[in-house]
Amino acid sequence: MNEAAIAHLTPNQRAWKRFRKNKPAVISAWFLAALVLLALLWPAFSHPRVAALLPKPLTYSQEAISDAQFQPPSGQHWFGTDVHGRDSLSRVFFGARISLLVGAVGAGVSLIIGVLRGAIAGSAGGRTDNYMMRFVDILYSLPSIVFVIVLFTTFEKTLKQWLNTAFATPMGAKAPLIFLFIGLGAVSWLTMARIVRGQVLSLRTRNFVEASRVLGASHARILWKHILPNVYGIIMVYLTLTVPAIILYESFLSYLGLGIQPPQASWGSLIAEGAHQINPLRIYWWLLVYPGAMLVTTLLALNFLGDGLRDAFDPRGSR
Amino acid sequence: MKSLTRLLGNSSGRLRFFWRQICRNLAASAAITLAGLGTSGCSSAVTEQADIVIINGAEPESLDPAIITGQGEARIVRGLFEGLTRLDPKDAVPVPGLAERWEILNDGSVYIFHLRTNAVWSTGEPINVDDVIYSWLRVLDPMTGAEYAGQLFFIKNAEEYNTGKIKNPSALGIHKMDDYTLRVELTGPTPFFLDLAAFPTLAVVPRDSIEKHSDRWIMEKPLPTSGPYTLESWRIHDRVRLRKNPRHWDAANVQNTLVDFIPMESAMTAMNLYLSGQADILWDKTIIPSELMDVLSLRPDCHQFDYLGTFFMRFNVTRKPFDDVRVRKAFSMVIDKQRIVEKITRAGEKPATHFVPKGMVTYQPPKGLAYDPETARKLMAEAGYPGGKGFPTVVYLLKSGKLDEQIGVELQAMFKEHLGVRMELRQAEWKVYLAAQSALDYDLSRSSWIGDYNDPNTFLDMFMGDNGNNRTGWKNPRYDELIREGNRQVDPKKREKILQEAEVLLIREEVPIAPLYFYAGVNFFRPKEIEGIYFNLLDEHPIHAIRRVSRNRESRN
Repeated sequence: MNEAAIAHLTPNQRAWKRFRKNKPAVISAWFLAALVLLALLWPAFSHPRVAALLPKPLTYSQEAISDAQFQPPSGQHWFGTDVHGRDSLSRVFFGARISLLVGAVGAGVSLIIGVLRGAIAGSAGGRTDNYMMRFVDILYSLPSIVFVIVLFTTFEKTLKQWLNTAFATPMGAKAPLIFLFIGLGAVSWLTMARIVRGQVLSLRTRNFVEASRVLGASHARILWKHILPNVYGIIMVYLTLTVPAIILYESFLSYLGLGIQPPQASWGSLIAEGAHQINPLRIYWWLLVYPGAMLVTTLLALNFLGDGLRDAFDPRGSR
Repeated sequence: MKSLTRLLGNSSGRLRFFWRQICRNLAASAAITLAGLGTSGCSSAVTEQADIVIINGAEPESLDPAIITGQGEARIVRGLFEGLTRLDPKDAVPVPGLAERWEILNDGSVYIFHLRTNAVWSTGEPINVDDVIYSWLRVLDPMTGAEYAGQLFFIKNAEEYNTGKIKNPSALGIHKMDDYTLRVELTGPTPFFLDLAAFPTLAVVPRDSIEKHSDRWIMEKPLPTSGPYTLESWRIHDRVRLRKNPRHWDAANVQNTLVDFIPMESAMTAMNLYLSGQADILWDKTIIPSELMDVLSLRPDCHQFDYLGTFFMRFNVTRKPFDDVRVRKAFSMVIDKQRIVEKITRAGEKPATHFVPKGMVTYQPPKGLAYDPETARKLMAEAGYPGGKGFPTVVYLLKSGKLDEQIGVELQAMFKEHLGVRMELRQAEWKVYLAAQSALDYDLSRSSWIGDYNDPNTFLDMFMGDNGNNRTGWKNPRYDELIREGNRQVDPKKREKILQEAEVLLIREEVPIAPLYFYAGVNFFRPKEIEGIYFNLLDEHPIHAIRRVSRNRESRN
């Protein structure tokens, strides 16, 4: 496409056009969309009425134990079965639900904290900005995963009791999940805050901001109407790169046995189960390979997507 | 990520340069200090190679004979502290220990022990009757908090002393006749008292050290020991190292000088360590990777045998909903034990409905509750929870370890499928697990019991109301009375009948526990390299008899 033809497009439209030309990013986007859709629909597959319409291997429930123990991948069980005779394909998709949910919610939490803090610090400037960002620097110096582990071990019981008294009983079981959301979100917003602050600082000296200030617009209005719309591309980019980081954190915690509790599974806990089977005598490879491959592919896709978005939104990128 | 900072480089350039510099310097100096601490902290490495390396299950709760309750701990402690008798390595029957001979009077209700005059502490002082009396009174002292104090309740007035009804120790049936002669009067004929005398709880411990250091006495250096070994070192989560005690009366027959006990909770890691030749013996049931039993059982170094051990589940009867016997029965009846032994444990275990294992000459256990989900659902409905409605989420306490977790997941699925009940798993380290169980801080708990001697009483008396190993909150006067009556009974046939009646109460009527399966013994050691391990019903293998015949690094697999 020549320059004249796209000159009349808005920056966002131009970004979209550039994105569509990036093959790996588009493939990744389709892959992720399919994965999310499957993960969302998966529990419905084991419902008797839906199951009648689907091929058998798709319809196992992740918690149902059976006599088919340690079956290698076959037409019956595409990803094989584990020690309890549970279907691994189903467990991998249930794991995807947890891993993606934690990734998305954690990134959401980091988005809210990071953008608010960065925007406020950037637009306030001066001493406030200095204090707010030094606080970020201090948090940066803490090893974040250790921080989450400490949070987990000290407050899990308290949170569980509180949830049990405040809500109906089954809520207590959700405590580890809620902790993953909050804990991982709370340590992942730092870079987001820095990036947003930097953008805000550079934007607020631009002519169009000056102009609306001269016209008497308030701080909040300038921030909301003029500055945020201009940084959202970069926020999007960074968000897609935060999701895989959080998924990886979650897998790590579950691998250590801190995150999800059985019979629930996440990719991390599935990989831990598979890794337990490594020994010189006999390896049930499918327990490790499939969840591992899913995790790697998803992380790769998210990173490709993030890279694609970044290239698309880069103002200095080729037109 | 790197190119993202390039993209944003122009805007973040406003960050003041000196801040970055300071942060960087601080981080660098912190890293150097930490690295320095790290290397200086681990200078005392184990240099001497042990004769025999044993993987022994979880990290010991303690090495104090009065405190320990686990089999792993007992295997170490038996090497350190000896009692009046000790176990024969071959068939685990009591043979002379610190006592060289004894007389049994009045049908077995009075024992007179004659101590060896050549028995000394590892520090050189002689061991005499005063040491024995001190050690036993210490176990019975309520301040010691010995959960196994029940092992001494067969002695006249011992239970009363332990519960505080009698304050004067001279009222007990333990009498010093002279420095080397001890007279023990029992509450009645006790055929297994010699087995008890070999049990770690009754072992002889050093008075001076305990009075000087109280709770931390086991850490004293050098620690006076009465057994064939001294405690060389105990490093948490690394190893317990024992060295031959040259002053022991039987030192000439101790077959090795340095033995390492490695604590380990992961079965696959333990097996890998053994297969790669870094350990010689793998002998705890909890650290055998059950998934591989079909392959492992074909190996010449896999040794399978029968022994007296039961895996069961405790109900906390002091908490709702398990204060209701119908709920306990229902839970007990939906456990598919056949599946658990076939699919999960896989080492030849047998499904259990009763608590006392078969195989004792004097006792035939009664039948317990059978697998019957139909009746279980009815019982739940009667108790007010039809289809699990209104039933709270319960927590199953287990010790960390893959096999226990797998059994937990199985139970979870079975309770959900048949009763509609949600159960959570709570994994805890061995020490935490034992503490939570003793404090009744659980709803359901994974449990196991290994016989301490070849008599049904070792399984049955633990559920008496005041026994420290009860840990269910269940107290039943009729049960207590039956056990007492059974143990007073001299006629073996009548005794069997009374004890059976008690067991029926335990497993069919009141159900404070649900038996799952009987253990099958599995040990791993390379027969070409290690000798002196014999198989017996107690799964006890005194370490002084274990001998290395060769150190052949090639034939590892």
